[in-house]
Amino acid sequence: MKKKQLLILIILNLFLAGCWDQHLLVNKTFVNGISFDLTEEGKIQATVRSLNIKGKGGGQIEIEDELIYAERPSPVGLSIDIDNMVAGEVDLHQAHIVLIGDELAKKGINQLLEPFYRGKESNITKKIAISKGKAETIISTEIEKSPIAFFILQTIEGAEKATYLPDENILTVWTKILTPGKDIILPYLEKIEPDRIGIAGVALMHGEKFSGETLSKEQSSLLLLLLDQLNVTSRMALVLDQEQEERSIAFFTRKMKRDMEITVDKSGKIICSVDIKMQIEVNSYPQDFKEDLNIKEIEKELSEELTKQANEIITTLLQANCDAFGIGMKISTKHPDLWKKLNWDEEYKNVQIEPKVNVKIIKTGNVY
Amino acid sequence: MISEKLSITKFQLFFLLIQSQIGIGLLSLPNIVQKSAKSDGWISIILAGVVIQFLMVVYYLLLKRYPDDLLSNITEKILGFLLGKVVNFIIYIYFILTGSLSLILMVKIINLYLLPVTPGWVISLLVICACVYLTTSDLRIIARFFVLVSTLIILLLFTNIVLAFYIPKEIQYILPIGSAGTKNILIGSNSALLAMLGFEGLLFMFPYVIHNTKGLLKTTSFANLFVTSFYTFITFLCLIKFSPEQLQQIREPVLYLFRGLAYKMFDRIDLIFLSIWIVPMTTSIIMYLFLASKSISGQKMSYKKTVLVNGVLIFLISLIPHTDEITNLMNKYVSYFSYAVIMVLPVFLLILSFIFKRHERGVTN
Repeated sequence: MKKKQLLILIILNLFLAGCWDQHLLVNKTFVNGISFDLTEEGKIQATVRSLNIKGKGGGQIEIEDELIYAERPSPVGLSIDIDNMVAGEVDLHQAHIVLIGDELAKKGINQLLEPFYRGKESNITKKIAISKGKAETIISTEIEKSPIAFFILQTIEGAEKATYLPDENILTVWTKILTPGKDIILPYLEKIEPDRIGIAGVALMHGEKFSGETLSKEQSSLLLLLLDQLNVTSRMALVLDQEQEERSIAFFTRKMKRDMEITVDKSGKIICSVDIKMQIEVNSYPQDFKEDLNIKEIEKELSEELTKQANEIITTLLQANCDAFGIGMKISTKHPDLWKKLNWDEEYKNVQIEPKVNVKIIKTGNVY
Repeated sequence: MISEKLSITKFQLFFLLIQSQIGIGLLSLPNIVQKSAKSDGWISIILAGVVIQFLMVVYYLLLKRYPDDLLSNITEKILGFLLGKVVNFIIYIYFILTGSLSLILMVKIINLYLLPVTPGWVISLLVICACVYLTTSDLRIIARFFVLVSTLIILLLFTNIVLAFYIPKEIQYILPIGSAGTKNILIGSNSALLAMLGFEGLLFMFPYVIHNTKGLLKTTSFANLFVTSFYTFITFLCLIKFSPEQLQQIREPVLYLFRGLAYKMFDRIDLIFLSIWIVPMTTSIIMYLFLASKSISGQKMSYKKTVLVNGVLIFLISLIPHTDEITNLMNKYVSYFSYAVIMVLPVFLLILSFIFKRHERGVTN
């Protein structure tokens, strides 16, 4: 008898539990993209792209894509403003993409992103990008009818697979911003008139701040290889310039190996050598149709050309004070005593980074 | 002598121990050990495991002398009736408070992540009802249930091992090993030990185990080894996944391990994980409810009634409006309390029992 009573009590409890925490789909406004900008008065403007779901009766729903603006002197409270502006419940931090205008990014992004990191409902596997110019112009682009945030998300994810962009999400960005001695690179987007959005390359960060320096898409691809972050494949097209005879070549990188070594010499100079061995597959080489491919020759030329480019990239990295290789971190673990003495912000510029690219053609496929 | 019907096997004891140890403490463990031990948090946990192993040996030596008695009988036999009663009451209060604390923390975390608007009392009522229901049906049934739900922990273990291969990680976060210094590592293992409480259940389960004088130490050692390596593994994973400064900002790093995963169909694996983790959290409360009831159930009240009364008591304590301040304070005092009960008391009893034994022999000779 007692057991029965207890059982009834438990079952009754089960019925109780759901009532408080139900969220009906029709009451929700889904935020799919958000952008932050610095206004001329120095305030922070948030632009939210949201999907408003409306029940039309008879099981039919209507979806509206709308833009909402809010402005505040600090990022805290923007979500309250926006919540007041839309019908139904809204959670800003569930956005699929977070865009940050370059001017604002130069002031630091950590404070902006804090609610995304720790928000109860936030989705920390989504993407962050920095925009050329105002981020608002990107998020307010209309591309036919599809929600722009998903378009951007797909573009970024596609570029990650092709090793144009680093594979980062909000969580990994958070981790890396808070890692001393390692800096992050973020996707850099631009609006291409009239209604297109393209990847301009990567933005080089210094700590939580955007350094203002960027790399082009081709350069970022090579940088990612130098960082040993080859995703599925990497495609490159190069112009080999030798003896005034321009030749172009396109190839895939499928496999690579990287050796990175950091040495500190007696005078305290830090030397970092980065060696990569790429195994490539040529897929287009539109010249010398009559002769056979001179594989050795091409390998040599490619290696030289890529090493040259890598040196340019590293010059930019040093200018931006962006320690993408994590040299500081390596030193802090291998030479902790030296690390304590260093002021890394100042010292990083004096690091000597020596890249070396070694290309090996393993397949030529249809090109022979 | 405990009747055949109520006894448990050593296999069941293994799961009883790991289920009562693994619970809510795991979720925030990496954050807590990282506070003092920094990147050497995982060493702290291994050290805590060593301390537990030492205590297990002490318990075994003590209990082996009284194979048919619960701890509450042993205290009375060693300390005398009156002092024994007082000590037993302290033990009882300890179990009630620990049980309540687990419940409070569990309700808090469910309120934080899963059911933000649901009133806390509904959740705690729901949990405590299930706990009382299971606990009234003595140890053997509890043991069977614990063995069954242990599959959840094993499931989690496997997902974590798979996870370890796929998450982006940075081994350099924990290098150089030992940089935190011995003192900080020890402070860290102090906090780790508190997350691993639950092994003291052995003190009350011992007489129920079949053939308890033979090979029992092996079982408890394996249970300890399992829990310690499980905790070390997960903490290690968190330490190489999150940067040190970031780890300080995350209260439940274990949930963030899962939160960082996303598949085409699922987002927010952490919520699914937390829903599953409710079971191991509840098993700890069940264990404490059982221990509290065993420690006072005697001649006056039947076991079932005691369980009910204790359940209500734990529920009432969980109703106290719990601001973070009160919870932290309670956490602090319960941890002091736990040292008295799980460490000082058994060691003290063991020493006394040695002295008395020698004395008794002296008399008979």
